[in-house]
Amino acid sequence: MKTKLLMLVVLIVGLAASVRPSFAHHGAAAFDMTKPVVLKNATVTEFLWINPHPLIKADFKDDKGEVQHWVMEMGSTVSAQLLGWTRTTLGYGDVVNLYVWQAKTKLPVGRFNKVEFSDGTVMRDTQTGADDGGRADTDVRQ
Amino acid sequence: MRIRCTGAIAGVAGVLFLSALAVAQNNQASQSNAPRSPWRYYPMDRATGDGGPAPKRDLSGTWAGPSSGSGAPRQKGEIVPPLTPMGQQLFARNKPMGKFSPGGTNDPHSRYCDPFGFPQNMTQEIRGMTITTLSNRTFVLLQYMDLWREIWTDGRALPAAVGGRSKDTHDPKYNGYSIGRWEDDYTFVVETTGLAPETWATKSGYPHSVDAHVVERFHRSSKNDLSLSITMTDPKIYTAPFSMGEVYFRWVPNQQLDDFTCIPSEQQLYLKEMGDPAGSDPDAATQGGRGGRP
Repeated sequence: MKTKLLMLVVLIVGLAASVRPSFAHHGAAAFDMTKPVVLKNATVTEFLWINPHPLIKADFKDDKGEVQHWVMEMGSTVSAQLLGWTRTTLGYGDVVNLYVWQAKTKLPVGRFNKVEFSDGTVMRDTQTGADDGGRADTDVRQ
Repeated sequence: MRIRCTGAIAGVAGVLFLSALAVAQNNQASQSNAPRSPWRYYPMDRATGDGGPAPKRDLSGTWAGPSSGSGAPRQKGEIVPPLTPMGQQLFARNKPMGKFSPGGTNDPHSRYCDPFGFPQNMTQEIRGMTITTLSNRTFVLLQYMDLWREIWTDGRALPAAVGGRSKDTHDPKYNGYSIGRWEDDYTFVVETTGLAPETWATKSGYPHSVDAHVVERFHRSSKNDLSLSITMTDPKIYTAPFSMGEVYFRWVPNQQLDDFTCIPSEQQLYLKEMGDPAGSDPDAATQGGRGGRP
């Protein structure tokens, strides 16, 4: 019984490790990876499809009504394409929920995690595993 | 209590397993039903199996490496080569991005899109690659940075002097000087020297000298499988020859690749808007100068 329990724990730890965030291009040392910041109803001001990392720029109104101007980076363009991203996935004026791991500097910049669109679909960034070439998310927007 | 705990764990494991299965099935379905253009690279349109025996003395074609969606396995583990005192001194100057982040690195490629140079360009961002052959040369055309390497197969020897001050010396080159020969019908061996010394040998910041001697063995084990193993000898910097690892490639069914390059203006925009404000690892040292020239 103990052996079976141990095997299950090992299985779960292994699965959890296989879906952990990975940063193929550079490390995550600059970001607070404990929990992503959620920018609800943020308005996209620019989506820059550039190398080495596409940038998402968005305005977010905080609880006090003040507008924060955020910039967040994705994985590389070629890796993002593996998950269905294109240069037009986001555009000026889109109102979306953005999840981002903020920089430890506490400036409004960070590593993008995922976006929730108004129709409920979700698109994730490449740290969910696209770099290994074998995975795409079930809820990728087509 | 133990049964309840086991049941919960089994339930979570089951959900995770079924989710992974659903991901794979959904992915296959969305790929197979989508219309195809001959001008696009479809990462999930993978070659099936080994495709049969490899053709003799032929590496020609377009190949997908790690991180390209091809399913080619990635190399595991980090190389820790044996440094000489000079090598240690040069290595200590380099601040790789993996540790120092874009805001703190002095990697000339990460800050300025400077060329990786060989051999780093055969292990770092090695996604797509085309190999083609003339009667006296083989070309390796790399997707990342749109660059090519020239490997002479006409029987010439490597240049005896590169980077010195004598009249007959040759200038160092980013990709060095390369010659190639078939070791057997499926293994093409390339020797290279005369490397531009300001480039890094690896993304971790390991250096090399202009006199480094690098041996690559391209081995085509089947129609769809190609592997590359790299060994470097550089007595000024390393106390012994060392393996730089093995890279695996798979045949690309429609032979098409997408653009992927580092563009200096975009790099500067990225650093200004994102990389520099995000900063470096707070525990890392402050940014220093660029790498040295052994």
